Amino acid sequence: MSVTQRPVTAAAPPILEVRGLVSGYEESLPIVRGIDLDVSPGEIVAVLGPNGAGKSTFVKAVAGVVPTFGGRVSLRGRDVTARPAHLRVTDGLAFVPQTENIFASLTILENLRLCAGILPAALRQPRIDAAFAMFPDLGSRPNLVAGALSGGQRQMLATARALIVDPAVLILDEPSAGLSPKLVHDVFETLERVRETGVAILLVEQNVRAALSVADRGVVLAEGRLRHAAPAVEMRADPNLGALFLGSYDHAEATP
Amino acid sequence: MNPQFVVDGLVAGAMIGLGAIGVTLTYSILRFANFAHGEFITAGAYAALALSGLLGLVVGSAPVGDFSFGWNVLLAVPLAILVTGGLAILLDAILFGVLRAKASAVIILVIASFGASMALRSLLEFVFTSQPAYFTNELQIAIRSSWGLRATPDQMLMLGATLVLILAVHLLMTKTQVGRRMRAVSENPALARLSGIDVRSVVRTAWFLGGGLAAAAGIMAGLLVQIRPYMGFDLLLPLFAAAILGGIGSVPGAVLGGIVVGLCEALAVQTVGAEWRAAVAFLILTLVLLLRPQGLLGRARS
Repeated sequence: MSVTQRPVTAAAPPILEVRGLVSGYEESLPIVRGIDLDVSPGEIVAVLGPNGAGKSTFVKAVAGVVPTFGGRVSLRGRDVTARPAHLRVTDGLAFVPQTENIFASLTILENLRLCAGILPAALRQPRIDAAFAMFPDLGSRPNLVAGALSGGQRQMLATARALIVDPAVLILDEPSAGLSPKLVHDVFETLERVRETGVAILLVEQNVRAALSVADRGVVLAEGRLRHAAPAVEMRADPNLGALFLGSYDHAEATP
Repeated sequence: MNPQFVVDGLVAGAMIGLGAIGVTLTYSILRFANFAHGEFITAGAYAALALSGLLGLVVGSAPVGDFSFGWNVLLAVPLAILVTGGLAILLDAILFGVLRAKASAVIILVIASFGASMALRSLLEFVFTSQPAYFTNELQIAIRSSWGLRATPDQMLMLGATLVLILAVHLLMTKTQVGRRMRAVSENPALARLSGIDVRSVVRTAWFLGGGLAAAAGIMAGLLVQIRPYMGFDLLLPLFAAAILGGIGSVPGAVLGGIVVGLCEALAVQTVGAEWRAAVAFLILTLVLLLRPQGLLGRARS
């Protein structure tokens, strides 16, 4: 199989466009070394690859929390590369980190109100109501301190937190990490529902099988570069894929 | 035992608590101990002194009611709070903010705050001289309550004003978006950014609040005792003892810690002698660090 990128046609024009992105913590030592990627509304793209491939740094650079040294990130056709992370949220880009992704000392409602703060006043309560409708578990006890939530509920709150601003693009860094198979299923089912509202989703995952089961496309990173991109259906069916591109494929199978 | 120490301790403790709120806010949001906080107290007192002098030319300085001071002092209070809050923001912009941008180690920020403390104190001493100054030269007769406790009208006003300020800060922190943002940045600045929060603006708010409350504490100290260039620096140990006793990061804790420190100091003055007053805060600080480092209302950090 060739490692050159296959052209993958997206259904709608991309809402997130990444071109030649170079990023890392030190300019002399880039971790992401020139990545191109488009994501369209209502599409789920899974970012896969072995540990150390730069998956997490890549999405953090897109969110603006890791410095960019080259290339460009555009959102709705607008260049946001120079925008700080907090303004990219206003621009419509929401990011759910892998760990510490909720404010544990705030209540569930406070977590949501905090993030709704950038919305016009009239939209805040309707968005919070919508989040509680989507996650009834959270809505049933809004005044519980978020630190008391279980792992799965935390992931729900983290997702609700990010969705409260009605983003165009939702990025999740390993949402299934540390969750039981049942909860992993719940998380991905939630993403399906979010996608149906037209949100573009970029998903970093170690749990390759689960990620490819919901994703439309998969992209494989290795050493900071895009090594392979294909529709998720093809990737799932490809018997050589694990051995060729996914260093952690077997591992992920054994410990979901 | 004479219960008079309760009144004296509460008044001093309220003042310490107001100052300690700033210490605890700076620490929880910027993660360093700001040793220049005492100078915000001094600067606030001198700002009020200078402003009340100017206002005295306009509104006069005749005492209001039973209090020892005139409208000029009362009107100078909100202005001095604004000026000192602004000074705190300025100090952050020209010193601490620059060091943070360079990702300096905490110890560098702490030592820089020592330097800022000395520089500010010397500047105030240069401008206002080291002679103690007073808001007013009026004498006050204490009112004796039915239990034999004495309190001056000034002291009672201080307690009332502190209560109002503390309640206002508590409501600000727990019920408003400004407070939620400060708590969010204090817990996790990276996630705060990802929640659309401009962390720099939250940092400025925290400095303004801390500086403004320090000014309020300084004006109280100036009214109750006197205004000197070292007045804030001498309060530094009680401030830190109060903030750490209450639990770093906790606003109600800082107030509670201030009242405990104030009461203990007043009790020590009455029982073992005034020369031991300064040792009390040090003793409390040591005991808290040994026995309950997270403080009374603080959460243990992992």
